[in-house]
Amino acid sequence: MIEVDALSKVYPGGVEAVRGISFAVEPGEVFGLLGPNGAGKSTTIGMLTTTIAPTGGFARVGGHDVLRDPMAARRVSSVVFQDPVVDRSLTGRRNLELHARLWGSGRDRIDGVASALGVGELIDRPVETYSGGQRRRLEIARALVSEPRVLFLDEPTVGLDPRIRAELLGTISDLRGRRELTILVTTHYLDEAERLCDRIAIMHEGRIVALDTPTALRDELGAEIVELRIDGDGSSALARLREHGVAGSTAFAVGSTLTVPLMQRTAAATLAEIELLRLPVTSASTRRPSLDDVYLRLTGGRLAEAA
Amino acid sequence: MTAAIATLAGRRFTLTARTPRELLVPLLTPALFALVIAPALKTALHTPASYESYVALGTVGLLVPLNTLFLGLGVIVDREQGAQRELLAAPVPRALLVFGNLIVAVAITGLQIATLLGLAVARGIHFHATAGGVLWFLGATAGLTVAMYGVAEILASRIPRQEEYIARLPAIAIAPWFLAGSLFPITAMPIGMTWVARFLPLTHALALMRYGLLGDGAGLHNVWKTNNLHLAASLSLAVVIAFGALLTVGAVRVFTRAAMR
Repeated sequence: MIEVDALSKVYPGGVEAVRGISFAVEPGEVFGLLGPNGAGKSTTIGMLTTTIAPTGGFARVGGHDVLRDPMAARRVSSVVFQDPVVDRSLTGRRNLELHARLWGSGRDRIDGVASALGVGELIDRPVETYSGGQRRRLEIARALVSEPRVLFLDEPTVGLDPRIRAELLGTISDLRGRRELTILVTTHYLDEAERLCDRIAIMHEGRIVALDTPTALRDELGAEIVELRIDGDGSSALARLREHGVAGSTAFAVGSTLTVPLMQRTAAATLAEIELLRLPVTSASTRRPSLDDVYLRLTGGRLAEAA
Repeated sequence: MTAAIATLAGRRFTLTARTPRELLVPLLTPALFALVIAPALKTALHTPASYESYVALGTVGLLVPLNTLFLGLGVIVDREQGAQRELLAAPVPRALLVFGNLIVAVAITGLQIATLLGLAVARGIHFHATAGGVLWFLGATAGLTVAMYGVAEILASRIPRQEEYIARLPAIAIAPWFLAGSLFPITAMPIGMTWVARFLPLTHALALMRYGLLGDGAGLHNVWKTNNLHLAASLSLAVVIAFGALLTVGAVRVFTRAAMR
């Protein structure tokens, strides 16, 4: 449903926002682009929604080349933008009607979609009276009115308070059940990506550095990891652990923190071996690996900090 | 295509109607000139009654640029706080966004001109309109409106913030008005300025309006130096239409380029 091949974007001035990314999204799949601000996620969505011109590669949305046939690509897709993009002085209904008329379908679905998204009661009020969460729901309702085959959600929960964010995640999660709706969502929230997405592409500095299901990405680090705080440079400690076979290729160091996936070893045995090496460890703990660990290993930076 | 442009124009009209500022503010200064300043000059300087009519039509040349440039603000508001990106993601040619706005600009400017002239007539100012004259007048005002809205769209697409846009309005909307024969014939100015005025599309539009509604061909004669007023009117109308077409094409190009980053 979405095909992206060697897609790139260099902005005037030479900023390489997207560097030759490739992926494919199957019909009905929820696909996540995960990465911090500046990773190239929104530029990728911009190219797929034909508001940003690619400088290399190609992309198809619903089988339509976004460069050669942008109107057809736009006809089968809808987008919910990162920032509010709505006529605030108009009513919710008028905003939805406008979308339905421009996309040429869906006027008879306005009330149903608005009710399903929890804004049925507000639909005849000016949007300027809506809360942030209500406005976001309205924007999602608007995007769904024309029954798109592809829905782009660009950071759909950014800027919302935790309660509204949780509610909205539930709403978006419910969209997964819709037949024939393919969703591409960008986010820098790990929990959001894990909860919503069938597959995730981790983006870093314009490139895709990993692409798989959330479970498979986590499984690369095994079932459990040991996290060590070192008094000094973590990389030299990591080198010693590797030298003695305590850490494998999946272990990594960021600053003074060492993360050692246990893989087939036990925590007790690993900690005992570390003690024998007399490394300047100030604290040690074990836990299950998270997507943040995966991101950290691939990029050398924590997603929450980078975002 | 027709449904899409009707939808876009309907949206723009609704948004504009919800901001009365955009409708009233541009009308104030021209109305002041036509209804207060011209009659006051007549009393103070003993100008003939025809001068009131002359100035009343001259103020149309101020109303059109002011109104269209104020309407251009809506494009910046749309981009900063409105639904412009949603419209850019819609399956319609992006040029239609400009044409939808243009339709509303022409309609609202037409209403304002009618209001201004209605007020002038109510104030006792006389026009000598014939059916043919009204057509010259309509051609001139429509062409000028299209052209000035093109200027507004180009500026709005190229200028990032409302404050910067507003700061440029006086230079674009008001300065040419003083040179274009609005309050006095262009031949009353130094010869160099008269030559500059001959190249201003606003000069041609105002000369046509007076030819149409007052039967006064002096403005056209001053521009073309011919006594064949019908020919002069045709040439001036061609200038205004060409100016409008050029700026509309420019507006569409600038808007669509600015829309694609």
